[in-house]
Amino acid sequence: MKAVHCVKYGSHKDLVVVDVERPGKPQTGQVKVDVKTTGIQFSDLVRIAGEYQDSTEPPFTVGGDAGGLIAEVGEGVEGFEVGDRVITPAGCVEEINISARAVTKLPAGTDLELAASFRNNYATGLWGLQYGRLQPGETLLVHGAAGGVGLAAVDLGKLFGATVIATASSDDKLEVVKTLGADHTINYTDGFRDAVKDLTGGRGADVIYDPVGGDVFDESMRCIAPFGRILIVGFTSGRAALAKTNHLLVKDAQVIGYTMGGLKKHNPEKDKANAQVLMNWLAHGRIAPHVSHRLPMEDIVDAYQLLVDRKVIGKVMVTN
Amino acid sequence: MPDIGDPWSLLEIADLPSPVPGPGMVRVKIEATDLNFADILQCQGRYQVPLDPPFTPGMNTAGTIEAVGEGVDLAIGQRIVGPTVGVHGGYAEEALILTEQAQVLPDDIDTLTASAMHITYSTGWFGLHLRGNLQPGETVLVLAGAGGVGSAAIELAKVHGCWVVAAAGGPEKVAACKELGADGVIDYASEDLYERAMALSDKRGFDVIYDPVGGEYFDVARRLVAWAGRLLVIGFASDTIPSAPMNHALIKNYSLVGVHMGGYRQKDPTPFAQCFDELYELLRTKKIKPWIDGVVGFEDLPAAMTKLQNRGTKGRLMFDPRM
Repeated sequence: MKAVHCVKYGSHKDLVVVDVERPGKPQTGQVKVDVKTTGIQFSDLVRIAGEYQDSTEPPFTVGGDAGGLIAEVGEGVEGFEVGDRVITPAGCVEEINISARAVTKLPAGTDLELAASFRNNYATGLWGLQYGRLQPGETLLVHGAAGGVGLAAVDLGKLFGATVIATASSDDKLEVVKTLGADHTINYTDGFRDAVKDLTGGRGADVIYDPVGGDVFDESMRCIAPFGRILIVGFTSGRAALAKTNHLLVKDAQVIGYTMGGLKKHNPEKDKANAQVLMNWLAHGRIAPHVSHRLPMEDIVDAYQLLVDRKVIGKVMVTN
Repeated sequence: MPDIGDPWSLLEIADLPSPVPGPGMVRVKIEATDLNFADILQCQGRYQVPLDPPFTPGMNTAGTIEAVGEGVDLAIGQRIVGPTVGVHGGYAEEALILTEQAQVLPDDIDTLTASAMHITYSTGWFGLHLRGNLQPGETVLVLAGAGGVGSAAIELAKVHGCWVVAAAGGPEKVAACKELGADGVIDYASEDLYERAMALSDKRGFDVIYDPVGGEYFDVARRLVAWAGRLLVIGFASDTIPSAPMNHALIKNYSLVGVHMGGYRQKDPTPFAQCFDELYELLRTKKIKPWIDGVVGFEDLPAAMTKLQNRGTKGRLMFDPRM
C-alpha cells in the first residue's frame, strides 16, 4: 500500500510516495482504519525540515488528521464496529493500525472530509476566543484570515456573535473569506489601521487574532480598542514582534500568548471538552470548515506547494 | 509652586481666593490629601499632563463638600475623595474635585483612611481582580511590595486566599512585606530575583505577577510567569519602559496585561462602584489595614516631599491643613 514518507530532512520536494506492507491484524487495544482523506498543514514543513521541537527521525509518515472507516477491531476495544466513520491522526497512508484511544467516532450526519480537516485549526480558534473573552457585539479582527487557523477564527467569531473584520494579502482570497462569513474584509498589503478605525467608528477592534506577527502586530497595536485583547497565535511573517508595555498600559490592553500544546499539557480536560463542543457544532452545521483543494497522494509535492505559495483557503486534503 | 522645580526647595505658602467649582465639580474643605510621588513629578514639570505655574500641587484629596458646581447631584456636608482639578490641588485648605471621578464616602468610613487608600487599593483591585481575574489558591508575586501600590496588592491578594511572595529592596522593606502578610519575601537588593522566586514557587512560577516597577525587573518577571499566568503592567517606577518579545509569550502561554485605572474612569466607569463597595467592606471588617506613615501640616510639606523622593516612607504620607 502507499504512504507518503519523509525519508530525509529537507523540503516537501524531497517527499516520496513509498510502497509499504499493509498492516496486519490490529493488536490488543488497536483498531485498523481504512484512510480516505488526510489533512496537511504548514507545520508539517517544519517537521520535514527537521526543525520541530520534538523531531522524529526519518523515515516517517507526513500529514495530520485523517478521516476513514474502521476496517478491523482489535481485542479489548469497545465502542467501535467495522464500517464506523472515524478521524485519527494517521497521516498520508492507506491503512493504519492505531490505538483506539487516538480514534474519534463521528456523530451521525458529520461530513468525513470536513471532520478530518478542521480539528486543530478550530481547536486553536476556540481556545483563543475563549481565552480572549470575545463577547457578542464586539469586533474581532482576524489576520491571515484565508489561512487555516485564520479562517476558523472568522467562522467561530461569527458564532460567538462578533462583528468580524478579516485581513489577507489578496483580493481573491478575501472574496472567498467574505462568502464564508466575514462582515468586512481588508487587503492589508497597504496597511489596515485606518480601515479598522473607520469600520469601528474610531474605536478599534476589541479582540485581534494574530497568526502573522511582525509588522502586522505592530500595526494592530495602533487599532486596538480600549480594554482590547490581542491573541498571539503564531508568526507566519517570520518575525515575533515586541509588545511595548506602556502602549498596553494606556489602552488597558492585553496580549495573550498561547499554544495548543500548552493547553493539552496543562489543561487536558478543557482540551477534550472543547474538542467535543467542536465536533457537536460540526455535526449540527453550526460551523463550516472550508476545504479549497483536494489532491491524490501522488501529487503530495504539489499539495504542499499550494501551502508554500499561500494558495490554500482553509485546508488542503490528500485523498486516497 | 511659584515655578517649575523641586518642591522641597520651591514650595511656598500663599493666600489665595477660594476656588469656584465649575460644572461637574465641588469645592471641598480639605481633611486629608494623599502625598504622591506623581506630585513631585508634577512640580518638576515631568508629569504626563503638566501644569503651568503657579499652581497648588496635590492630585488627590478628600474632604467635606462646601460648594457645588452646575449639574452636580451632591449635597453640601457630604464627604468625598477624588482627583483635584487643574491648579487647585490638595496641598491647601480648599480644593476642587471632579465629581465624575470621585467617590462619596459612607458615614462609617473615616476621611483619612479613605484618602490614604484611595489610589493604591483601587489600583490593586483593578489589577488583581478586574484585569487579572485572580482566583483563590493562585500564587502571586508582588514587585516593590513595600511601596504604596505594592503593599496594597499584597494585602488584597492575601485576603483573596492567595499565596503571596513579595519582592523589595533592602531588609527594612522586606520586613515590611512580611508584616503585611506576604508568605515569602525576596530582597532583590541582595538576592537573585529569578533564582529565589523559582525556589519559593517550587519552579512553577506565579499565576499572577504584579509589576509597578518595569525596567530590568520586568524582564525577570516575565520569565517567572506560570502557564496561563498574567503579568500585570501597573507602572514604571524604574523610569524604564520595557518591551516583551511575543514569541516568549506564545511559548510560555502567558498574558501581558496593561492596567490603567484612569482608562476606566474615562471610558467605562461601571467597575468603580463595585471596587469601592468591596474595599470599604474589607476596611470595615478590618481585613485590610492601610498603612499611614504620618500626617503633616503646611510647615512640614517640604520635608515630607524629600522623604517621599528618597522613598523613605512606610505606607502613605498624608497632609491635613488643620495640623
